[in-house]
Amino acid sequence: MDRPHTHLSDPSPPFQIHLPPVSPGTALPNLNLKHSVDSRALTYDGTVDENLVCPICRCPFVNPVLTGCDHVFCRSCILGSLSHRSLCPIDRLPLSDDTITKAPKMVFNQLDSLSVECPCCKARISRSTVENHLEKYCLDAFVRCPGYIEGCPQMVKRVDSERECLHFLVDCPDCSEEVEQIEMKDHRENHCTERLMQCERCDLEIMRCEEKQHEESCPEFIRICKWAEYGCQYKAVSRKHILHLESCQFKLIGPLAASLKGEISQLEDKVLDLKVQNELQSRRIKFLETGSRTSSDRPMDLTDLSLANLSVSGPTDPSDSGNDYLLSLLEAQQTRINQLTAELSDFQGKNTMMLFNETLPIKNELAELRSTQQVTCMHVRWLLRLRLQENQRRFGVGPGPGSSSGPDGGGFGNDLPLSRRLSDSTRDVTTKL
Amino acid sequence: MASSQKRITKEYAEVTANPPAGIHVSLVDESNVHNWNVILDGPEGSPYAGGKFTLLLVLPSDYPFKPPKINFKTRIWHPNVTFDEHGSMCIGILKPEAWKPSSKILSVLTATQNLLVEPVPDDAVESSAAEKFKNDRPAFDKEAREYTKKYAK
Repeated sequence: MDRPHTHLSDPSPPFQIHLPPVSPGTALPNLNLKHSVDSRALTYDGTVDENLVCPICRCPFVNPVLTGCDHVFCRSCILGSLSHRSLCPIDRLPLSDDTITKAPKMVFNQLDSLSVECPCCKARISRSTVENHLEKYCLDAFVRCPGYIEGCPQMVKRVDSERECLHFLVDCPDCSEEVEQIEMKDHRENHCTERLMQCERCDLEIMRCEEKQHEESCPEFIRICKWAEYGCQYKAVSRKHILHLESCQFKLIGPLAASLKGEISQLEDKVLDLKVQNELQSRRIKFLETGSRTSSDRPMDLTDLSLANLSVSGPTDPSDSGNDYLLSLLEAQQTRINQLTAELSDFQGKNTMMLFNETLPIKNELAELRSTQQVTCMHVRWLLRLRLQENQRRFGVGPGPGSSSGPDGGGFGNDLPLSRRLSDSTRDVTTKL
Repeated sequence: MASSQKRITKEYAEVTANPPAGIHVSLVDESNVHNWNVILDGPEGSPYAGGKFTLLLVLPSDYPFKPPKINFKTRIWHPNVTFDEHGSMCIGILKPEAWKPSSKILSVLTATQNLLVEPVPDDAVESSAAEKFKNDRPAFDKEAREYTKKYAK
């Protein structure tokens, strides 16, 4: 349960400043200093996407590389891992450092756009701009002291860089401690233990750095009456308050008002609770009313049901457990009906499918049978016609002298009844077959 | 060295901010993030339920490239933990050939918790406990419960 301790957060700033030695006399154009930032020690905005976090150092990638097995790591992390074992730390496939290539540009772009906190001014900036921001713009970042041409090796914050070099020791006029001029103001305001001041109100001599604490105890400090909240207008210096408390008109009313105030707030809470309950009850009543009507003349309305769901899920009162029971029963029935409907439609679908599946082969078979029947029909017809022609040839003279009068007409007369018989005989043939 | 400390600090912050159920983590020495004190509650449904087991988790200086080491400071009757003052534990995830730098301490701790629920007798270091676990489970459970009562209260 322990919170992370303060010492755990890296006490050293997440950047290093490169301070090239000054050769006196050479006038450099500006005071900017190059900061090299450790991206791993920066504070990132919110939680960084897990896909941008190196599985080894658990920080957003720094200088990401792609392995032969398509995994991304920080360059320093994977090289460190490979110096222990030549395996990929993710899939344990053999891996050597010559298969490592720079990660795709897209990964770099995503990392560059991560929002981080500036280690100095705490502004939100994108990760790629941190170094430039510190070097050129951040007001709280360090720059060279304006006195560097004279050989001052110190650094100052950019906000202070407008002034000349203040890095010389001065004796504090109060405690005669040696303090650098640049820190003198801060020293005299907050740290100097000798610098006294006179309290404007009580004329007591106090230490400058303890001004705030003195306000609490200063007898001349003007404060309002303890019961001001309930109407007392009294305002006077602290030392008179003891006397005032004795005579304050609100001496008796004050505590009473305070207790009443507490009670009122309690009651307000209760009213709020009751309001919620009341709303719930009225909803239930409405539901029951509409429910009893619907049962007689119209089917169940969906809006009523959603209402019922709402009221059942809310807090329940033991006094209307009967209603609750009814409601829950209704609800249960409704869900059952829904279930049954779903099952029914499901079943219907299944049945149609089954029927379809079974009838399809039968239909096919039928069609096949029909076609074979047709073929045999034709076959038989052909055979019969052959036989007929043979008969005609054999008894070609048979039909007698009548045929001579009109052989065409006779042929037609012979054919017609035969063809009719043919259709009759086909059925016989097929059945025999 | 520094990078290992950064990652350990990060993981420690994660574990303490979001402690998993039944696991309490603290540092042995406030100035050293490499040694963790872990208090493991005996998981419900195991013979160790109700016991509090103290473990020492040591993170090597080349963590996460080398696995952490875990020892039971509280005596425990378990097939995979030696029943002596060392309390050395044998667990798959911490074996050098199985360790991956991408594994987290949190997963090591939960794996330890799981080991208490499901001992792995085929990978035993305390053979007598493993024998009993395999052949006479009720007797093993009873013994483990007794030792838990004796040492881990």
